[in-house]
Amino acid sequence: MSRHVQNPDSSIIERRLRPIYDWLDSGNNKKALQECEKVLKKNLNLQCGKALKALTLLRMGRDQECITILDNLTSEKPTDDATLQVISLCYREMEQNKICKLYETAVKLDPTNEELHTHLFMSYVKIGDFKLQQQSAMALYKQKPKNPYYCWIVMSIILQATRGEGETDESKRKVLLSLAERMMTKLVDDNKMDAEQEVQLYILVLKLLEKYEEVLHLLDGPLGEKLQSANIIHLKLDYYLKLENWGKVNETCKFILNESFDRWAVWKHYIKSVFKLYTSNSNADTANSNLKSLDGLDNTPEKCHEFICGIIESGSDNAFLLRGPYLARFELCFKLQEHRFKCDDLLGDVLQLFVEYFRLFGHKPCCVLDLKIYLNLLSADQKSELGIRLMKEVGIGPTSVPQTADQMQLHIGALQLSRLCGAHRNLSKDHLQAMMTALVLHYQHGYQTYGKELPSTDIGPADNYALMAVHVMYDLSKTENGIQYLVAAIALLSNLIRNSPSNFHAKLLVVKIYHMLGDVIGANNIFYSLDIKHIQLDSLGYIHCGQLATTGMFSICSVHYDTTIKFFSSNYKDSTEHLTFCYKFGSFFKLDEFMDFRERMNNSLHYATVLVDRVMLNLMDCSSVTGLNNLYISISELRINWTKLRDNKDLGIYVTWDPEFAERPVDQTEEIQRLFEQDMKFLKLRVYVLYCIKGTIEVSKSLDGLKTASLEALKRTLKDWKELEEDARNSDLEPIPDHLIAYPPPSRLHGFLTVPYVSCITSFVEFFLALCKQNVEEIETFFEQAHREIKALNEKLDVKSGSSDFREKRKGNEFFVNNLEVICTVCVICLVCLESVKPPSTRKSKKKHQVTESKVQSLVIQLAHEVLSEINKFSEVLFSWTNTITEKELITILDSLNLSVNNDNLHRGFMDSYAVSYKEIQEVLKSKLKMLSSIVE
Amino acid sequence: MMTTLRPFTCDDMYRFNNVNLDPLTETYGLPFYMQYLAHWPEYFQIAESASGEIMGYIMGKAEGIGENWHGHVTALTVSPDFRRLGLAATLMNFLEEVSEKKRAYFVDLFVRVSNQVAIKMYTNLGYIVYRTVLEYYSGDPDEDAYDMRKALSRDVNQKSVIPLAHPVRPEEVD
Repeated sequence: MSRHVQNPDSSIIERRLRPIYDWLDSGNNKKALQECEKVLKKNLNLQCGKALKALTLLRMGRDQECITILDNLTSEKPTDDATLQVISLCYREMEQNKICKLYETAVKLDPTNEELHTHLFMSYVKIGDFKLQQQSAMALYKQKPKNPYYCWIVMSIILQATRGEGETDESKRKVLLSLAERMMTKLVDDNKMDAEQEVQLYILVLKLLEKYEEVLHLLDGPLGEKLQSANIIHLKLDYYLKLENWGKVNETCKFILNESFDRWAVWKHYIKSVFKLYTSNSNADTANSNLKSLDGLDNTPEKCHEFICGIIESGSDNAFLLRGPYLARFELCFKLQEHRFKCDDLLGDVLQLFVEYFRLFGHKPCCVLDLKIYLNLLSADQKSELGIRLMKEVGIGPTSVPQTADQMQLHIGALQLSRLCGAHRNLSKDHLQAMMTALVLHYQHGYQTYGKELPSTDIGPADNYALMAVHVMYDLSKTENGIQYLVAAIALLSNLIRNSPSNFHAKLLVVKIYHMLGDVIGANNIFYSLDIKHIQLDSLGYIHCGQLATTGMFSICSVHYDTTIKFFSSNYKDSTEHLTFCYKFGSFFKLDEFMDFRERMNNSLHYATVLVDRVMLNLMDCSSVTGLNNLYISISELRINWTKLRDNKDLGIYVTWDPEFAERPVDQTEEIQRLFEQDMKFLKLRVYVLYCIKGTIEVSKSLDGLKTASLEALKRTLKDWKELEEDARNSDLEPIPDHLIAYPPPSRLHGFLTVPYVSCITSFVEFFLALCKQNVEEIETFFEQAHREIKALNEKLDVKSGSSDFREKRKGNEFFVNNLEVICTVCVICLVCLESVKPPSTRKSKKKHQVTESKVQSLVIQLAHEVLSEINKFSEVLFSWTNTITEKELITILDSLNLSVNNDNLHRGFMDSYAVSYKEIQEVLKSKLKMLSSIVE
Repeated sequence: MMTTLRPFTCDDMYRFNNVNLDPLTETYGLPFYMQYLAHWPEYFQIAESASGEIMGYIMGKAEGIGENWHGHVTALTVSPDFRRLGLAATLMNFLEEVSEKKRAYFVDLFVRVSNQVAIKMYTNLGYIVYRTVLEYYSGDPDEDAYDMRKALSRDVNQKSVIPLAHPVRPEEVD
């Protein structure tokens, strides 16, 4: 039921309260407070108004006043939804420590109240204080001796061992864990252990103590029966593996596989155990006693092969043909090769294994995924032979088309596998072009014949032809005049998306290519159709949001940054709540996982980058002294835990058939590790831009007594920054290769280092430092230096004029935006300089003093004028770039291709996107012009 | 169905995009997943392929009082690359087995009346349309849901799967 109906006045009240919500949402707490006072004046006892006031005060840092209001309010026992929501928001936003204090007091006043004790315990869970958790759980258990509370004590002790003081102190860890164990055995001895969760906790303790034998013993006993949701045999297998009891592993795996042929992990364990048994068997001296009874165990490759064949035979009448045992032969082959045995004797020709598997399962899309991890069993020659053999199997020549949907899938599979085998490498441009054309034709035929009647939620069966064509186009784009192939790829993908609107692979690819060419609006539209949200904002943030900062499309940046930051900040608060779920439901074994996950998300590199990008946007927006203060606050709020930052990209989402990624996925390559290091360096370097501004403002605001300290701090910042840059320039600056489509775009570090961020900004800060010292000579020196630096910016800009290759144009944008950031930063520092030499109207100074002051002031003003004239030049350069986008270029490119696309639309999209970027950049330049000139003139 | 079935973990949320970007699979806010992971971890299982891709997953829970104690399928999804391999059946079997162990009377699920593929699949797995829930899915326009059920061994007389004659409103569904 809606609140509107319950109370006739509510719509009026709601209308009055609306502005408060709006001010709060936009972060303007001062206005919100004024609005609260206004409403409360009219409506003295409006509970929701009071709650909103409390929230506002809290956000202004006036905690005590907030708590006073909340205390009064809660004693009134409000019941309406809106008020309660605001109150709980207050509690959520309040520093967790304060909530602990609140409950500590409450428990003291009402020591027998079970609920308050529970709240206190949970509040300690949220701050992660395991010792206090333990104490409060003990107090709770004393009040109400229930098993769950007992388990809370034990879990709190375990956490002290694993994540608290025991983490670094092995003996502490042992002591704590044995205490936990004793507490659990007591529960068993007293015959009190009952619930499944309690048994799970017991197992958790034993596992941490590596008492695996005891776990196995427990699983076989009466306690094992309490584990109603567990699969005991699989659990036992885990512990046999931990104990490296290969005989038992072998026996258990065979038992499971006889029942369900397709448990892949079990197949792998089984084959591993065979080889462990085999090698320890042939090394008779190391064989230990438990290997004496090997009867019935498969301890040779021959027996293993026999077992696999047996399963294949017994499964032949199954409804679904089972892939497990067939794939197990590849795993066996892999192990044989690993141990340098010959495969051929046992399994025959390895190449033939691939062909057979393909014959059986080639009509399923997963066939390629199954086989790709084993392609390295083949030599280079065998690989190229495999490609040829598979094509023969499929029976489609250069002039024929598939006769059935199954044959089409076979064809697609064969094409994908031959690319994985390297068949597309070292081909001539003509050859690649022919392949591209053939693939496009196959797609069009396949779509017409097999793809038209499908529901719009299905991925078309011929779509993979088109995706492969795009990959070939991407290869071609690396040849001379390659830009046209990227345009063709966009045309083809747009076509594909129209036919198959749920094909997210196509959408991901087109977003990527749009970004390469700088069509941000195109990318943005497709991105929205992917409906990416929640945690995907982190894992997939790199595909769009992460590329925006250097486009100059500031309005789109702002939308995506805000969405991203909102997700992270609300989950930062929520995620402590999730920890309490584990105690509530007794899923103790999930706690470690939940805590790791929380840490992983909160320390996302993408999040930290977006936070910094967001503040940079504020910097570009900053056009007044008030703006300066807001900027200062947002910089002060940046919290980055550098040592814990993590890359959470889901790179596997881009499909690839490049041989480089056959065996190991993209995210496990050294290139990705290097990219991460470069991204980290970039973020550090970039955040120092903000630290410089913060330091400058701090110096300008600090009172005489603290001036020296803040001056020193700023000097240190400059020094650290220069060192960081030096360090970055000396590190491995090889960009991530761009010839493979599955790699993410290169680090922004490279673009950063081509622009004199450090030298230009530091020279302005040094000028400011000289001003503070009032040393005229130094002021003049640094004036010259700053002047030189800013002039140099434009000289470089002129060279990088707009190119007709959109990839270059995109790089030009990055270069321009980076320079723009430098200019904006310099403007802000100039603003601080100007403020600091503004003659105080009240003070009367001595004449001599006045002379120096006016000289200094005129230097500052002169520098500001220099900056102004540079801004004007920037604007002119950009204007000349705007004119380099001509319709002609694009049309000739598209005309030379044989794709039926709407040329006009495609080219207008590109034009529009660049036009918007340039317009937004011009706006920023204009506002900076306005800001500086209003002060100077 | 060649797969590795294992409990879903938090980190899987960082890799489930190849399944979740499919338009028929909803990506929920974190608290939703966390609630299920904490409350019914045994009901949240994921299938992984030999090459490490996520093939699909199932999310469910156990609830109800007395003879209404039952397993519920909250979400079942299979990646487009791994369809028509019998994976959905494997995941459903798993959930049914867990529900059997918990001594539930039946398993139920909701499905859009327009989702013929899914309805056919559930029917093949032994589910019947127990009742229609009017305008259960909000959208433009709202869509009805079938509440489909399958009796478990504890419901000896198959009382839980006698179809209702009349449709119900969402408020009437507990």
